[in-house]
Amino acid sequence: MSGSNSGGLMSSAGLVRYFDSEDRNAPRIDPKTVVAFGAMFGLLVMVLTAVAV
Amino acid sequence: MSWKETAAPVLTRMPTVARPEGHVPFRRKLTWTAGVLVLYFFLTNVLIFGLAGTGSDAFGQFRTILAGGQGSILQLGIGPIVTASIVLQLLGGANLLGLDTSDPRDQALYQGLQKLLVVVMIFLTGIPLVFLGNFLPASGQIASSLGVSTFAMQCLIFTQIAIGGLLILFMDEVISKWGVGSGVGLFIVAGVSQRLVGGFIGWSGLTNQTGFFEAWFNIITGGVETPPLFSADGIQFLLGSGGGQLLALVTTLLIFGIVVYAESVRVEIPLSHAKVRGARGRFPVKLIYASVLPMILVRALQANIQFLGRILRSQLGEGMPDWLGVYQQTQQGFVPTGGLFYYFAPIYTPQDWVNALGTNTLDILIRIGVDLTFMVIGGAIFAVFWVETSGMGPDATAKQIQNSGMQIPGFRKSPKVMEKVLARYIPQVTVIGGALVGLLAVAANMLGTIGTVSGTGLLLTVSITYKLYEEIAEEQLMEMHPMMRQVFGSAD
Repeated sequence: MSGSNSGGLMSSAGLVRYFDSEDRNAPRIDPKTVVAFGAMFGLLVMVLTAVAV
Repeated sequence: MSWKETAAPVLTRMPTVARPEGHVPFRRKLTWTAGVLVLYFFLTNVLIFGLAGTGSDAFGQFRTILAGGQGSILQLGIGPIVTASIVLQLLGGANLLGLDTSDPRDQALYQGLQKLLVVVMIFLTGIPLVFLGNFLPASGQIASSLGVSTFAMQCLIFTQIAIGGLLILFMDEVISKWGVGSGVGLFIVAGVSQRLVGGFIGWSGLTNQTGFFEAWFNIITGGVETPPLFSADGIQFLLGSGGGQLLALVTTLLIFGIVVYAESVRVEIPLSHAKVRGARGRFPVKLIYASVLPMILVRALQANIQFLGRILRSQLGEGMPDWLGVYQQTQQGFVPTGGLFYYFAPIYTPQDWVNALGTNTLDILIRIGVDLTFMVIGGAIFAVFWVETSGMGPDATAKQIQNSGMQIPGFRKSPKVMEKVLARYIPQVTVIGGALVGLLAVAANMLGTIGTVSGTGLLLTVSITYKLYEEIAEEQLMEMHPMMRQVFGSAD
């Protein structure tokens, strides 16, 4: 137990930090929306490039 | 009225990715991580619409650690996130923000500020990239076929890379909340690993790059002309990057070994539970306590200085004073060969210094000196700031240990006393660790690495992968024993 206990105390943060508490005013985005938008945007740019050439 | 009240309405309304409700099973976490990673690789292969050619890479040799891809809609990579983080670390480290990150209200502000700064940096990096310096030239042909001006085309290019920058930010958030590790870390590892694999198995016929294995295949089969192997030339050939790349291989493996070893070097502070007798624990103060991430901030600072130099060169042209920078046009765009910006340019590869050491000894020594100063002192300073702002400092750690009901045996059970004990180790270890990592990064660059992934890239990759491994092990433990979630303090 001793080893695992210490793991929880260390906070290994990424470059951007996200906290548990968030303001309720902030608009929420579904993670699926992010991925879907990214894929659609990539496809859109590819189509544009293909059409223009 | 403090800036907090003024800025609160904006900062608390920055869009965020929804948090999962309840525990996310490990398998789902892996699916999210893999999904975002696939999307990331897809987007680095989507070229910007309306570009004439691919332009020259403004990040130059820093591309490995800043992720993204030159000429793709992820042109900016994690650059804006890193630059925003530098500003935040400096402000937070110097305690100018006045935000208490243990207070939920301030946490929301901190998070909003972080996001706002990234958006500002997307503009500050993107605008010069597109509108100044010809890094991303707009295609006049496409502009005329669409019947719009070149300026409109540039705006379109800027919009694409700005959306790409925002996507990186939100993909990071998705991974941080729904996946394993952090997006930024994953993107760095992905980019460096790709190069590392390319550096090993690259085949000049296919990838324009002579990988390690091809080089040796050629040496053994006599495909290349080799000098007599037991002469000075022969040994140099086997070690050097144009020949056997043995030095790069040894450096790469050595960095791997050193980082994994350094992860296990630690000062352990014994803990015992205040109420439950016999429950003991240890708090490890690792040699690289602040992790290797602060190093990317120092490198990004250097990258931004070089970026500034190239923008100045493109604006001033030949009129740029010699003391400021003398630039030479190469395949990779303008490269400084003299002046202030030359001395500020870090050593990227052995070619940067080995051959020139005999002729421009003083110049090279100054440049190495500046690079070392930057990385060692900068590394230590940013490590200290990092520990302060990410809640790993003596005071925050003492509070955390106190809250978990533990105490240091033989000392009074007061956070102040505990803080004093921790303050004997944490600051010293942080400074030594930060400086050591800086030194390693410079040394690795000077000796060269396989696939020229750069010392910093390699250090970051090994250290991030190690952390990821620890996190996955922790996750699996939690899957097996739901009770463990309480121990790890995960929200569910």
